[in-house]
Amino acid sequence: MSLLQINDLSVTFDGDDGPVHAVNGLSLSIDKGQTLGIVGESGSGKSQTAFSIMGLLAPNGRTSGSVRFDGQEILGAKPKVLNKLRAERIAMIFQDPMTSLNPYMRISDQMTEVLTLHHGMSKSDALTESTRMLDAVKIPAAQERIRLYPHEFSGGMRQRVMIAMSLLCKPDLLIADEPTTALDVTVQAQIMDLLSELQREFGMATVLITHDLGVVAGFCERVLVMYGGRVMEEAATDPLFADPTHPYTRGLLAAVPRVDDEDAIMKAIPGNPPNMADPPEGCPFRPRCNFAGEDCRVMPPLDPFAPGRARACHRPVKEVTA
Amino acid sequence: MITYALKRLAIAVPTLLLLIVISFLLMHSAPGGPFTSERELPPEVLANLNAKYGLDQPLWRQIATYVWSIVSDFDFGPSFVYKDRSVNEIIAQGFPITLTYGLLSFAVAVVVGVSLGVAAAIRHNSALDYIAVGVSIGAQVLPNFVMAPILVLVFTLWLGWLPGGGWQGPEYWIMPVIALSTSFMASIARITRSSMLEVLTSNHIRTARAKGLPERRVILRHALKPAMLPVISYLGPAFVAMITGSVVVDIYFSTGGIGKAFVDSALNRDYAVMMGVTILIGALTIFFNLMVDLLYGWIDPKIRY
Amino acid sequence: MVSTTENTIATEALPARGRSPWADARRRFLRNKAAMMGLVILVFVALFAIFGGWAAQWSNEELDYNVMGQVAELGGPSFATGHYFGTDDLGRDLFARTVQGTQISLAVGVVGAFIACIVGTLYGATAGYVGGRTDGIMMRVVDIFMAVPYMFVLILLLVMYGRSITILFAGIGLISWMEMARIVRGQTLSLKGREFVEAARATGVAAPIIILRHIVPNLLGVIAVYATLLVPLMILTESFISFLGLGIQEPLTSLGALISEGAGTIAYGTTWQLGFPLLFFCLTLFGFFFVGDGLRDALDPKDR
Repeated sequence: MSLLQINDLSVTFDGDDGPVHAVNGLSLSIDKGQTLGIVGESGSGKSQTAFSIMGLLAPNGRTSGSVRFDGQEILGAKPKVLNKLRAERIAMIFQDPMTSLNPYMRISDQMTEVLTLHHGMSKSDALTESTRMLDAVKIPAAQERIRLYPHEFSGGMRQRVMIAMSLLCKPDLLIADEPTTALDVTVQAQIMDLLSELQREFGMATVLITHDLGVVAGFCERVLVMYGGRVMEEAATDPLFADPTHPYTRGLLAAVPRVDDEDAIMKAIPGNPPNMADPPEGCPFRPRCNFAGEDCRVMPPLDPFAPGRARACHRPVKEVTA
Repeated sequence: MITYALKRLAIAVPTLLLLIVISFLLMHSAPGGPFTSERELPPEVLANLNAKYGLDQPLWRQIATYVWSIVSDFDFGPSFVYKDRSVNEIIAQGFPITLTYGLLSFAVAVVVGVSLGVAAAIRHNSALDYIAVGVSIGAQVLPNFVMAPILVLVFTLWLGWLPGGGWQGPEYWIMPVIALSTSFMASIARITRSSMLEVLTSNHIRTARAKGLPERRVILRHALKPAMLPVISYLGPAFVAMITGSVVVDIYFSTGGIGKAFVDSALNRDYAVMMGVTILIGALTIFFNLMVDLLYGWIDPKIRY
Repeated sequence: MVSTTENTIATEALPARGRSPWADARRRFLRNKAAMMGLVILVFVALFAIFGGWAAQWSNEELDYNVMGQVAELGGPSFATGHYFGTDDLGRDLFARTVQGTQISLAVGVVGAFIACIVGTLYGATAGYVGGRTDGIMMRVVDIFMAVPYMFVLILLLVMYGRSITILFAGIGLISWMEMARIVRGQTLSLKGREFVEAARATGVAAPIIILRHIVPNLLGVIAVYATLLVPLMILTESFISFLGLGIQEPLTSLGALISEGAGTIAYGTTWQLGFPLLFFCLTLFGFFFVGDGLRDALDPKDR
């Protein structure tokens, strides 16, 4: 049984100008200890997928489908049920470390409350444990720094604090939503190294949400490419990079700047991501796709064309048989 | 925190001195001059004034004497109208009364306003929310001098439940407190609601929820403090407006606070009492603003240093 | 409200229809039900103030000797006597008096707000434009003024210099410019760095001219919003002072003075003397508050 099994998840927001379909019929599964990357541009619905797992959608968001964690249905579950899972079994790291910590509370208070709540620890035990965790994420002088407020840390340090806080209860599943987007490039690499080290050490399953294919390549075993709220292609990392079959995946890969090959031309995908209040008919990528035809006006099903691989396209770049 | 407090204090003290000097100059520049008034001052009063200010002295001497007697002895000098009464006596008579219902009104406005605002924000778009918004919009046009006659009309004349005026026991407090606090309660509720709604959508609240904290704890420990910041900024002006409103309460409910002394002195041109009241209230305001600043600094660690 | 980046981006991708910001603001204002209601109320109050005098059957100064001494029994609102709103305690027609009170209250509000706007705008724009130490000192002065219990000072002024309507108008305006100055200063600071101001400065235009020709016109939106919200505050201040008997003096009257008279006589069963002035007072305030809030929402779409 998978640790997390999502079937046919849809997320819709009621906006002022009608509903916005952020996620449309998404399915995925992840096993214990596995690492899965969800890749897509802004607006592809990847973050909303993460929020619906945690039950953290904005109040005007509606969901349908099924999210099972360890066999238990948690989509639309009562706050009481979710609160038992949050932090304790499913933890999350957010995109913007500058605003994701409470600026009005000391780091110590923000961390210890997780342990006193979920593990019923005493305040002093919780403090010791929190300090240990700050050490683990390589924050120097954790003993003193734990007394500080978030604004006294740099962005990278705050993200380390967030990571430490999310790992306090040794969760089974960690969802990292663009953990490095808001950080400097050098700091990004440090944070990803730290995450992968901690992932091996703690052995938790991890969902990494990012728009950065480079980050995925270094971290994830499997990748899910999302576009317009739908899964476009799914595969193990290596075959996907070696041999992308969906036109969108190819476009994404071509848009990655390469340092090893100076002659390679970096090609941006023409056009803009779809407006999800008024999505294109059929395949959402159709308006930007070089290969699109009339049949693309009907959304292609996700076709498991090879073991461990699937894609949703009428006109794959080339047929691959593994 | 201590440096911050000292800094705020360093601003408050000169402000107060300036207020005293400006009031004095204002009084001094009154047409005809306050001390050489067109009215015949009783000779005893004139003697009092001469002894107090040394009216033959140069202006800066007079100011210095006045400021010094306030700062060192808390002495506002003699009345211009009553031979045997000092400003201090006149103020001391009404001040405890003003303080009693003033503090009560303030507490009611803050406690009810904040609770109503928080409740409305948590139950956003519910019936409770709409009622809270409706009440606070309605109360905006019900300042103290509108509330006071309406309350008397309803509770004294129609229902006969409450005494229409006087100051003899707790039942005499009820209407003054309601009249004075209603519009501020409404404003506080409105500010609390909108700031709480904003805080609840912020990223750190999402983090708190992701930690599995019960909603109660998310609100009380994580959202309330930041949501209170705009409310705290409003408390300074609200305090001034409430003291101002106490004048209406004193007049309409005959409660006998300093507002009564102020209006009486305004009607018979007793500048000394008017100035005394103005300076006292200015001092209270400055002190209160200082407290507000400290409270602000206590909540927001970023401005403490 | 969706607070996630994903969705804001999705919404931003809407095809731009090329509306001017003013047209956009007007559309938002017209769609705002509370603001439209406020506007209707204001138009009604204004029509009442301007044309109410023609509908009155009595002048505001005429005493009705039939009801004198028996106001509680005979002075009630009635079409038969021509006193639509009843009479006041002296037997004067309350309808005509309310019309007059509304006129004066509106005038005080508008003139007061106008004075506050001019002083506040010039002060704030100067402080913001000059900047540096001058700015620091000017804003410090505003801070100090804001700690002054202005109502007491205004009453002090009224008592010292006589209770003339001119002093009341000017005084009310002069005590309320501080908040305006702060807002304008903040806006000026952000305008100062913009190209057209830089360009004007580079070509050697004098500072006062830049402030008046380039800065102030760009602040009109903010000033309009704030002025609309200031008017009811001015009316409140005037009514407060008149309620205490220290403001508008007979034979003139204002809504506050009428409320004061009505409040003084409720014990004798003449509730209409309080009710009608109160109704117009509340309507006027409601109208301005709603329109002001609507304007703010329309011109400053940050909250949406």
